[in-house]
Amino acid sequence: MRFLTGLVLALMMALPAAAQPSPSQVSGAPARHVTTELVAERQAIAPGETIQVALRQRIQPHWHTYWRNSGDSGQPTEIKWTLPAGWQAGPFTWAPPRKIPVGPLMNYGYEGDVLLPMTLTAPASAKVGDKVTLAAKVQLLVCADVCVPEDSDLALTLPVTATSAPVDPKWGPAIQTALAAAPKPVGLVAVFQPRPAGVALAVTGAALKGADLAGAYFFPFDSTVIDHAKPQAIERGPDGLTLTLAAGYAFQGGKAPGGLAGVLSLGGKAYEIAATPGAPPAGASGLGPPPAAQGASGGEGASGGKGAGAADLGLAAAALFAFLGGLILNLMPCVFPILAMKAASLVGHGEDHGEARRQGVAFGVGSVLTFLALAGGLIALKAAGSAIGWGFQLQSPPVVAILALLMLAVALNLSGLFEVGTSLQGAGSGLASRGGSAGAFFTGALAVVVAAPCTAPFMGPALGWALTQTTAAALTVFLFLGLGFAAPFVLVAFAPALLSRLPKPGAWMELFRKALAFPMYGAAAWLAWVLAQQAGADDLAKLFAAAVVVALAGWLAGLAQRRAALGGKPIVLTGAAGILAAVAVAAVVWPQNKAAELPTEAYSPARLAELRAEGRPVFVNYTAAWCVSCQVNDKVALSTPAVAQAFARHKVVYLKADWTKRDATIAAELASHGRAGVPLYLVYGTGGGEAAILPSILTPDIVLKALKAADQGASKP
Amino acid sequence: MTAISRRLALIVGGLALAAPGLALALPAIGKPAPAFKALDEAGRVRSLSDFTGKTVVLEWTSSDCPYSHKHYDSGTMQALQAKAVKDGVVWLTVSSSAPRNEGYFTAKTARAWRVKVGSHATAILLDSAGVVGRAYGARTTPHMFIVDRAGRVAYMGGIDDRPYQDPESLKGAKPYVANALADLKAGRPVADPVSAPYGCAVRYAAA
Repeated sequence: MRFLTGLVLALMMALPAAAQPSPSQVSGAPARHVTTELVAERQAIAPGETIQVALRQRIQPHWHTYWRNSGDSGQPTEIKWTLPAGWQAGPFTWAPPRKIPVGPLMNYGYEGDVLLPMTLTAPASAKVGDKVTLAAKVQLLVCADVCVPEDSDLALTLPVTATSAPVDPKWGPAIQTALAAAPKPVGLVAVFQPRPAGVALAVTGAALKGADLAGAYFFPFDSTVIDHAKPQAIERGPDGLTLTLAAGYAFQGGKAPGGLAGVLSLGGKAYEIAATPGAPPAGASGLGPPPAAQGASGGEGASGGKGAGAADLGLAAAALFAFLGGLILNLMPCVFPILAMKAASLVGHGEDHGEARRQGVAFGVGSVLTFLALAGGLIALKAAGSAIGWGFQLQSPPVVAILALLMLAVALNLSGLFEVGTSLQGAGSGLASRGGSAGAFFTGALAVVVAAPCTAPFMGPALGWALTQTTAAALTVFLFLGLGFAAPFVLVAFAPALLSRLPKPGAWMELFRKALAFPMYGAAAWLAWVLAQQAGADDLAKLFAAAVVVALAGWLAGLAQRRAALGGKPIVLTGAAGILAAVAVAAVVWPQNKAAELPTEAYSPARLAELRAEGRPVFVNYTAAWCVSCQVNDKVALSTPAVAQAFARHKVVYLKADWTKRDATIAAELASHGRAGVPLYLVYGTGGGEAAILPSILTPDIVLKALKAADQGASKP
Repeated sequence: MTAISRRLALIVGGLALAAPGLALALPAIGKPAPAFKALDEAGRVRSLSDFTGKTVVLEWTSSDCPYSHKHYDSGTMQALQAKAVKDGVVWLTVSSSAPRNEGYFTAKTARAWRVKVGSHATAILLDSAGVVGRAYGARTTPHMFIVDRAGRVAYMGGIDDRPYQDPESLKGAKPYVANALADLKAGRPVADPVSAPYGCAVRYAAA
């Protein structure tokens, strides 16, 4: 698809600019991409009267100008009037914007013919009979694959008449239509709340009840509050809707803006909203995503949104792609051991074609039904009001962490550290080895259950899309996924020629299984990298610790299984393995208790001397990222709310001397206090003198006392 | 392209592709800056780790973008580069424009542009595949990032607070990048670590 876009763009660029039709092209004048003019609602203006005028832009096909928030790039159109004394012009009434994707970026703007109305007020002293010329300079940026600034000097000439003039037959109705279409506040109540999955924007009110919400999209006025290019998941409720927005720059560092104002577009209608921080009301969610819009381009823009102009692929194409996706699932390493097991049984039936066919069909039915059951479960979960769409799950660090641990567990399993839980394997392979159609049916089911977690990272977005469609459409996509998944196996069962060519089962299968562990280790490593990008080094460290615990649990489980195989009852071992695995998962999911962020400054001897000269109490923390006791002290003592408050109350300056990398100055400082390493905590009092040295193991109490003493002048507590 | 086709293409293509390459990242202030490796205009391989212990400025540019022109034609960009480099800062100008797109650089055109505008940058990184740009979530030209001496993102956003291409807008602009560099030089926390980037869209290669 991208390739096609690229091709079209390349073709467009290959056309010389002059060959493009340009309505404004006057011979000799440079071609312009936008023609601008000023138009008025009425043919004249009366003294003291306020009328509507408008900037009209006629934009060349494939080019666009910008809305008040231009999105990721671009610049809003501006107008600067030069008016005679007493005359006043208002700001633009912005028409609803449309989404204009540019590669991975998103712009908000206009294409085609657009009117931006504004008010014009004549002074009471305007002289009846005069013809006034009102000049304005318009600055705009017009872009296609390149951007061109186009400025123009425009003028509007209006006679001043004693009474209100008749409406201009051409522009009066057009301006009225533009004003009617402009987003207005209609009493919608909007609140927003940052959540791990994104910023939840909940909007409720009469205007949304019963409205078609499939094309709902929030255009913020401020360019820093959301990541414009990210999709906005829609969740309907009895009184309105909740959009999940990807947080923008303004939410960096745990901060949140004071408000979220903008335009809520519903495809055909657009409303102005101003959200305040707060918890979303219950009526803003709970009904799941909207059913598929007539034409999935509904969200592409408020003004009709024809998107990129590409034909809608529709459900048939979706089903086709799902089928292909299902085929590819057979290559997933997680599935292989189970398929190999079944292939062995098929090979066993190589001579009995009827039996092989029956098994093939049973396997197909088993895998398709399991796919549908999984889909049904997910749809039910969404309907039950889980606010987060499947596609957003990989944006949530706990989910990524759990998947990383799961991949690791699968890899360890493939490496042979342990077998899949005795009970599960007992159920699955017990039934699967039962032979006959029932056995094949359960093999199909087992293959899907095992494949599902492996596919989550890759299939997440696609399944997420499916889940935003109607239940029937979603089930269709899953159905074809299941058919695709089952197809190769069924095919082999029905083609005896293929069957006889299957390699004979044997020791190579065990070897192959162990080799397949490595892609899974790779997947775990990739997810760890994703987590590091999302959540940073602290969460990565937590994940690695959990990974070690998972490996330990896997080893204990394997040990238990071997004892059990010898007839033992290793309850303790099994229990320990289960508890350790649960602890590892809990550790990566448990929300970090919000550490109190202390404002710190980087340490330098000069800064310390300066602060001491000012008589400020100073706390110096000589620390390093690799110093474990430093981190422990940070967590248990320095980052506690009580200590943070004490820092603020006593106005103690917190200097951090970071020794993570070699630093001669800090080493010398440490040596001068008789230390060869970190941690070292120094507290300087307001009264001057030597610093108090705090113990290497801190408690909040020690720090609180030291800070208090420092504020009272003494360095030594 | 409709959402359907793009999403479903993922079913087929996504299995083999590295998923993180598809979207733009959003770096976080105070977190380690994304590592990168790229060729510069002189054919040298430059990576962020080459500059450990130094403050690094990343400036996304497009030689054809009116906003980059505003800062180069007026000489303010070159002056800022000269001052930064004098203070020991590493200044990397990055072009993430794909071939045949506005602002695409080959080593040769980058060298010519460097001489033409009188850039004082340490190097010009040729990122026509958009790998560095996507890792940093570079959206516009210019889009500025500062990596502190400890390798953490210390600033990201616009070069100043005037999102206009009109050179008149330089007067009285709040120079975010100059201020952030001054803060870092003095060992202070950066007062405004995040601002809205502005300018032309970075012309990425299709993913």
